Amino acid sequence: MQPQQLSQSDSLEFSFMGEVKAGFPSPAEDIREKLDLVKLLVRHSASTFFFRVDGVSMVDADMDEGDIIIVDRAVEPYNDCTAVCFIDGEYTVKKVVINDSGAVLMPCNEHNSKFKPIPVGPGNDFLIWGVVTWIIKKA
Amino acid sequence: MYALADCNNFFASCERVFRPDLNGKPVVVLSNNDGCAIARSNEAKSLGIKMGDPFFKIRDIVERNHVAVFSSNFALYGDMSRRVQEVLRGFAPAVEQYSIDEAFLNLCGMEGVDFDAYAKEISRTCRRMTAIPVSVGIAPTKTLAKIASKLCKKYPKLEGGCYMHHQQDIEKVLRSFPVEDVWGIGRRSARKLQAMRIKTAWDYSCLPEATVRKIFMLPGFRTWRELKGIPSIEFEDIIEPKQSICVSRSFAQEIDTLPELAQQVANFAESAVSKLRKQGSLALELAVFAMTNRFKENAPQTTGCFYQTLPEATADHRALIMAAIEACRKLYRPGFGYKKAGVIITSMIQADGHTPSLFADSDALERDARLSEAIDSIHASYGRSSLLFGAQGDGLIRMARNHQSPHYTTLWEDLPRVKVN
Repeated sequence: MQPQQLSQSDSLEFSFMGEVKAGFPSPAEDIREKLDLVKLLVRHSASTFFFRVDGVSMVDADMDEGDIIIVDRAVEPYNDCTAVCFIDGEYTVKKVVINDSGAVLMPCNEHNSKFKPIPVGPGNDFLIWGVVTWIIKKA
Repeated sequence: MYALADCNNFFASCERVFRPDLNGKPVVVLSNNDGCAIARSNEAKSLGIKMGDPFFKIRDIVERNHVAVFSSNFALYGDMSRRVQEVLRGFAPAVEQYSIDEAFLNLCGMEGVDFDAYAKEISRTCRRMTAIPVSVGIAPTKTLAKIASKLCKKYPKLEGGCYMHHQQDIEKVLRSFPVEDVWGIGRRSARKLQAMRIKTAWDYSCLPEATVRKIFMLPGFRTWRELKGIPSIEFEDIIEPKQSICVSRSFAQEIDTLPELAQQVANFAESAVSKLRKQGSLALELAVFAMTNRFKENAPQTTGCFYQTLPEATADHRALIMAAIEACRKLYRPGFGYKKAGVIITSMIQADGHTPSLFADSDALERDARLSEAIDSIHASYGRSSLLFGAQGDGLIRMARNHQSPHYTTLWEDLPRVKVN
């Protein structure tokens, strides 16, 4: 199995101009403009990681079961950011609200009251693994 | 000024990236085929698990202390290494990747920088971006930088970064640094040094120049100068093509038939050819070796090695796989259980500028080259298991990998799952 590097050569590129076989030379010939999806989604290739979403507590933040989320560890966690967190032995994705006594992990699902805010204090084994920068979902 | 950035317990640290629950817990990574311990977290080291300990010998300690055990996962380690290297390249104009978990940074021209703070910042940034702990030593020579990075591991209060440059500091460190741990002092030199009662790096650096030159030759002399703070080992940021390529593995179970052994050898050969082609070389000679299980006391033992010279310098998949199988046939002996085998390309030249011999069929060479290129491009797009040679069988190496973690960062189907409830 080969590692799939996120290099430009592997990246998905969409050419916006077709090739012209013969006849009148294309006036767009020297334009090498392309859309590179990886460039858009991955700002820092050293610190960007992909995770898959498993669960429904964040549906109001547009994160559905099976979606791929992009996490960039280079982004400094900020108040109200959505982040992959690690709390007491488990991963979770939540909105991180930072307050005086620590932080609260807020679920985003109005229709299901079983998801409750999780207060984080000094007694918890807690770390913010990385900030979510994009959500990839199938249409 | 030079820096050495060394990832702490690299493979074990990679296993922790997506398993923060393992922080503070003992972790061991096993060699190919789950043979022996090749990486240990600090907690595993304090349990007395040594580098190279066979797995069956440490099984008791592992079970009693709930040590997390992993088969090696080179897809993950390679990707994490690439990430660390990328971060390092942001800190220096030139970076020499020394191994999968070490890199030298050339800081020449950066005089005036607070190097102690810089070392700590490099370490902190690597940790933040990649989750890998890295020890950074900065010193006037590569050899001293390596020693400085080891100090970071010993003293956590250095926060992963150590700048060692005052003459009196260097002397103090070298006086307690075992000479056999100095970069470039081989095992053979260490034995000679023991006989000469040279115990520390400082003792070595105090030897007279003539003695060093006479007994330890040029490499030993370079190390001696480097310990004195005179840069003497070149900075190599251009990767030289390898002079030999070896692909070998131990098998999960002994192999005693020729067809099975030949199939494994074909797989090693294919892998060696792919490496050969990547560096743009042609093979002149290859060797195949195979050996029985030396830990099995009552079983008949044999080791064999057979060299095969190629009629024409080549990087052709088929020619090399055939040569390897031919060599395998010649060394195989019935009645033995082979535990390990490998293919080594022992002699090679650069493909650029090579002229085929006068008697070579140039049309056939051209055709073969096109076929090999087509194979390369299919492998590049769909992976090496997408197209196999008949001799490779199912293309699988008979290896045990009972504890491998997912390929978290290199396969879509292995992405870490995050519970959102």
